[in-house]
Amino acid sequence: MSEALASLLTALADDELILGHRHSEWTGFAPHIEEDVAFSSIAQDEIGHAAALYSLLAQRSGGDADGLALGRDAAAYRHAVLCERPNRDWAYTLARHWVYDTADAIRLEALHDTADEDLRALVTKMSREERYHLIHADAWIERVAAGPVEGRMKLEDGLKEAFEEALGLFEPIEHEEKAVHEGYLPLPSSELARRFRELAANKLDELGVQTEIYSRSDEAAEFVASSSGDLIASGDEHAESQPERARGLGGRSGHHSDEFQDLWDVMTSTYRNNPGATW
Amino acid sequence: MVSAVRTIEDAVWDALGGVQDPEIPAVSVVDMGMVRDVTVEGTTVTVVMLPTFTGCPAVPIIKSDVAAAVSMIDDVTGVRVEITFTPPWTTDRITDQGREKLREFGLAPPTGEGPVLITDIGLPEVAECPFCGSRDTHSENAFGPTPCRAIYYCDACRQPFEQFKPV
Repeated sequence: MSEALASLLTALADDELILGHRHSEWTGFAPHIEEDVAFSSIAQDEIGHAAALYSLLAQRSGGDADGLALGRDAAAYRHAVLCERPNRDWAYTLARHWVYDTADAIRLEALHDTADEDLRALVTKMSREERYHLIHADAWIERVAAGPVEGRMKLEDGLKEAFEEALGLFEPIEHEEKAVHEGYLPLPSSELARRFRELAANKLDELGVQTEIYSRSDEAAEFVASSSGDLIASGDEHAESQPERARGLGGRSGHHSDEFQDLWDVMTSTYRNNPGATW
Repeated sequence: MVSAVRTIEDAVWDALGGVQDPEIPAVSVVDMGMVRDVTVEGTTVTVVMLPTFTGCPAVPIIKSDVAAAVSMIDDVTGVRVEITFTPPWTTDRITDQGREKLREFGLAPPTGEGPVLITDIGLPEVAECPFCGSRDTHSENAFGPTPCRAIYYCDACRQPFEQFKPV
């Protein structure tokens, strides 16, 4: 199969799997019984989407979906760093949920025109289910943004973190040019990023959320390729811990945080204990 | 020869009418509109099915139940069950009989008529209570015990109930 299509499927599936895994960590622990159900159900949807994407990849490349989902080394995953961040608190969880599902809607809309027939069918189905995720996320940030000041401040803190790292979702995938040229990715990631920033900034403006949150991410939006082929953002001022890479970037080339190593250890432990077990 | 092929196809549809959705046992996969095509070549049957939700964990069970039911038919020597997302399964595929059975099961059928546009997807403010028929209801959660169900509450008979989400 086309290496560009494989790269696209991997990035999409890994995003859904890893964020789905984080959402599932609320099962039994959410601050509200209905939200316990909601996050569990959203997690099930996301992991289901990942399973369908891995199955498509496996059909074409000869692997198996479980092996792709759980049998790879941590460095082989291509999800955005945003997806692997710990849930931290309820406000960050909601902020990341909103940022991700807003970005995902833009990406899926573009993929309705993908050149691959099976992916197109899957995207059509996934988009219909994802509508409920975005409606849920919108309702929550609207509610918290209009609520008491403490919750609002926590939401703004969460949005600061999540919005900045959302750029990692639109970091070019491996073989990006080829994916665009072959029609698998109908729009380049830079255009998707532009659409995301515009839509998300408008929405946050409507809610009266501090503009500083999204103006900062514009500064980090210019990507340049380093000699090693890694993508680094120029004009970045706030990346003390990772001097060569802006916060939240690197996921599409397999550069993840220590937080992902912890997630990977837990997520793959059963599979690693007994590879190939049948259920 | 033509009549013989026809007979197998009829028998396949009858058999599929007896295969339940394991999460909603009152309703068959035919009532749910999950069967896209049945084709018979000689004595080999291919059933093409549409999952209701992408991540529905019941799909592998449904697949093997369908294969088992069809292979019980006399004259059938081979069964293939294929899963596809083309076209996407949408709630308007549920038959009128399926809707009635959902209601009897205590699950409000999806609202709306005709094809569900993606922009129409969302939770209706009220759903008809499957227990008392009242529309004095409100939604509690767009997410429920399975990916396809939302949770409502009936203010008339004071019962929580589930609704099949429009999708």
